[in-house]
This record gives sequence, structure tokens and C-alpha cells, in this order.
Amino acid sequence: MAAPHSEAFDAQEARLERARTRSGWLAAHVASLRRTMDLLSVLTAADLKFRYGRGPFQVVRWLFDPFALVGVYLVLITVVLDRPGTAPGLSIACAIVPFQLVMLGVGNAMGALTLRAPIITNMAFRRTLLPLSSVLTEALAFGASLLLIALMMGIYDVAPTAAIAWLPVVLAVNLILATGFAYPASLFALWFRELKPFALSFVRILFFLGPGLVPLSETSAGARPLLELNPLTGLFESYRDLFLYGRSPSAGQLVYPLAFGVVLLAIALPVYRREQREFAKVVG
Amino acid sequence: MISAEGVGVRFLFDRQRRVITAGAARLRRIGSETWGLRGVSFTIDPGEGVALLGASGSGKTTLLRLLGGVYTPDEGRLSVGGRVGTLLSVEAGLLSLLTGRENALQLGVLAGLSRTQARAALERVKSRSRLDVYFERPVSSYSQGMRARLGFAVAEATGPQIVLLDEVHEAFDHEFRQVIEDCGRRIREQGGIIVAAGHDHAMLERLCDRALHLEHGAIHADGPIAPVRDAYLAASAAA
Repeated sequence: MAAPHSEAFDAQEARLERARTRSGWLAAHVASLRRTMDLLSVLTAADLKFRYGRGPFQVVRWLFDPFALVGVYLVLITVVLDRPGTAPGLSIACAIVPFQLVMLGVGNAMGALTLRAPIITNMAFRRTLLPLSSVLTEALAFGASLLLIALMMGIYDVAPTAAIAWLPVVLAVNLILATGFAYPASLFALWFRELKPFALSFVRILFFLGPGLVPLSETSAGARPLLELNPLTGLFESYRDLFLYGRSPSAGQLVYPLAFGVVLLAIALPVYRREQREFAKVVG
Repeated sequence: MISAEGVGVRFLFDRQRRVITAGAARLRRIGSETWGLRGVSFTIDPGEGVALLGASGSGKTTLLRLLGGVYTPDEGRLSVGGRVGTLLSVEAGLLSLLTGRENALQLGVLAGLSRTQARAALERVKSRSRLDVYFERPVSSYSQGMRARLGFAVAEATGPQIVLLDEVHEAFDHEFRQVIEDCGRRIREQGGIIVAAGHDHAMLERLCDRALHLEHGAIHADGPIAPVRDAYLAASAAA
């Protein structure tokens, strides 16, 4: 009977060992995730101080920055051009707000290394988190931008519908796409320092090469297939679906920008990881 | 313990003599390359204090940055065992717009503490750095000495087993130099390591008993600090 007992005992031990390994694996991953959250929170908190300064005007600036950034477009469309169509001001806000997250995330990521040069040259830390923290900083600013959409809904008397329940999904796609752009943008700024303004212009052009100023349905039939190649198109249209038309966004509108962001990350992240070993040489 | 075997750090330049990464070098034409360190081999045992001596541009800072993980070796093998505390520039990793407290929290977390641990260490950092009310003020209002004090206090709060100092300790006032020396002695007694570079040889001698003399990115001499320093000074005078 000894042998079967031993086998059972061994099997039990093996199971326990597997469980221990699994729990060790899990504990290691939980600890790693907690560490990542800690790092992101301090990097983002510092970034926010740079972005919005300190004191009572910090909140004022946070609230009014998006209005200052996009107000000119809205005034142009709603007042100066007096465009026809369904709530043109709200329509353009639905494009400008998600675009600002991508645009400002890219801009912030491109300056992240220079901003943190004193830290980068003084100590080792997970520098791969820098572009992500840049996007998170802008995501917090983005919270104030959403007020712009609410304001436009009020102006055009558009009531929210149940479709707004899709907002977290649309926001997540927006964030992933912004992060996908932020990593290559940071690398571009590192490799071609003097061409940084062109990178920002390129991202800005994407707004105009998409249905930013008018909804996709109002563009010419010939241009539509080309505009749909722009990852921002699905995003703009998703926001319009939620806030302007009160319907759920189509799967394609969300899957394409999501896939675009994921592919950008899959390409840029390994390169960024390799390059970050030499950041201190460049900024030092 | 620290062990380096044939370690080298390479810098690539573009045609405008700006440093570029290896990735950028693949995309752009390289102007030139230079080795900040090459063929560097040594070991530092627990409890040792090692001074890095050499003229400006000899590779002291590059070696310290390599040991601190700021650079990675482009050739050779490097092993650094233990938590590292660094003070590698006068800025000490501090961001000017943030207050002393905000910087201390950020640097503490980046150095390996959790947010809770870093928050718990803040009062100790404040008293250790002797910044008093300045701890709540932006670092842009600090003198070099104050920055260095804050940087050192944060590095110390992370419980380092290896401390790397690059000339910045020379920015400290007399009183705080004593703090550094006491701290260095304590770390070494506990089996830690101090590696310090600078031109204040008297202070280096109080912190370290061994010296590496670097010249053109290579180790020229390695031994007890007094003879290595004397040989270095004699060679400098002769040049």
C-alpha cells in the first residue's frame, strides 16, 4: 500500500506545488500591477502640476483649457459660418473632444523626455511608462472637455439617451488610440528632434482628413471610403452616435480605431523598450 | 557586490555632433562614435568604499551612471547586487516646478518604494534634509546645496545598499558633509557599498579606502586611495 500512498502523496504535493507556483505567479503579477499603478500615479500627478500649475487657478485652467483650445472652431462653425445641418456645434464638439485627447497626448509624450531629463539622468526607473503617463495626464484634462459636449447638448436641446451607456467603451477606445499614437510620437521626437512641429501638424491633418468638421454622412460618396481609413473617423462617428443621434455606435466604428491603436502599440512598444536604455545619453 | 567584466558604453553622434540612440543611428547617417568607457573590469565587495578619480571627461560620470542603471552597457557584463541610491547630478533628479515634498514622493516611488512607503518617509526626508519650510516650496527656489540635501535625504530614505555620488556631495555645507560621511560609514558597516566621484580628495578619502583612477574611459590604476590619488595628482601636475 506504500507505493500508491506515496503516489497519491506525490500527486498531492505536485498539486500543492502547482497551486503555490500559481499563487506565486499571481502574487508577483499583483505586486507588479500595484507597482505600475504607483509609478503611473506619481508620474501623472507631477505631469499635471506642469500642465496646470498650482494654486486656485489650477482648477480654473483645467476647466477652461478645452474651451480655449476648441472654442475657436465652435465659434467659427456655429456663429461665423452659420452652417446648416443637425446641431453643427454639437457635431463638431463630438469630433474635437476625442481629437484633443489624441493630439494633446501626442504633444505631451513628445516633450516627456525633456521634461524629465533630471530624473532620467539620475536614476533607473521604468521609462516605458512615460508616454502612457502623458496620455493619462491628458485623459484627466479630457474630463473637462466632456463638459463642452454637455454644454452643446444643452444649447441645441439634445437630450441624452440610453446609448450613453456606451460611453465607457468609447472612452476606452479613445484612450487606447491616444496611447497608440503617443509611443511612436515619443520615439519620433527622440529621433528627429527638429521635426517635432511636423509630427504635431501631421496629427492635426488627420482631423481634417476625417469627418471632423462635418459628419461622415455629409461627405461625398467618393471620399467616404478614404475617410474611413482614418482611425479617427470611427471615433468621431461613435461620439456623434452617442451624443447627437442617441444611438449605439456600430462595431466597425469602434473596432477599427481600437485595432489601429493596438497595432501601433504592438509595433512601437518593443522599439521604445529597446530605445529607452539610451534616453539618458540623449537628454543628459 | 558589484562586478564588471570588459564593460563599455558607446555614444553615437549625428553629423551635428548631437548624441543619438542606436535606433536613430539606423535611420540617420551617423557622424561619429566614441566610447565613454571601454574594457572596464573590476569588482567591488560588500563594505567597500571606492573613489573614482580622474580628469573631467575621463569616464567617472559614465561609470556611475552605468552602475546606477541610468546607462546600460553596450558591451561586457555588469552585475550590481543591491538596492541603489543615486545622487548623480546637482539637480539630483528634482523637477523645479514641484515642491520638495512632491519631488520626494515622486523620487521615492521611482526609486522603488510604494506610494504608502514613500508618503510615510516624507517627514523623515524633511527633517533629514533640514529644509524646514522650504520643503513645501518649489525646488526652483532652492540653492544647489538645498537640492543636493533633498536628493541625498530621498536616496537615503529608500534604504540603499549601494550609494553612488557624483561630485554633488561637494555642494554640501560643512555640517551636511558630516551627515554624508556618517551615513556612508553606516552603510559600509552594514555591508553596503559607496562609490563616489569628485575632486574633493579629502572628503573622498574619508568616505572611501580604495580608488579607481580613470583615464580616457579606461581604468588606469586601482588600489588603496592614498597611492592612487598621489600618482594621479603627480601625473596631472606633470601634464
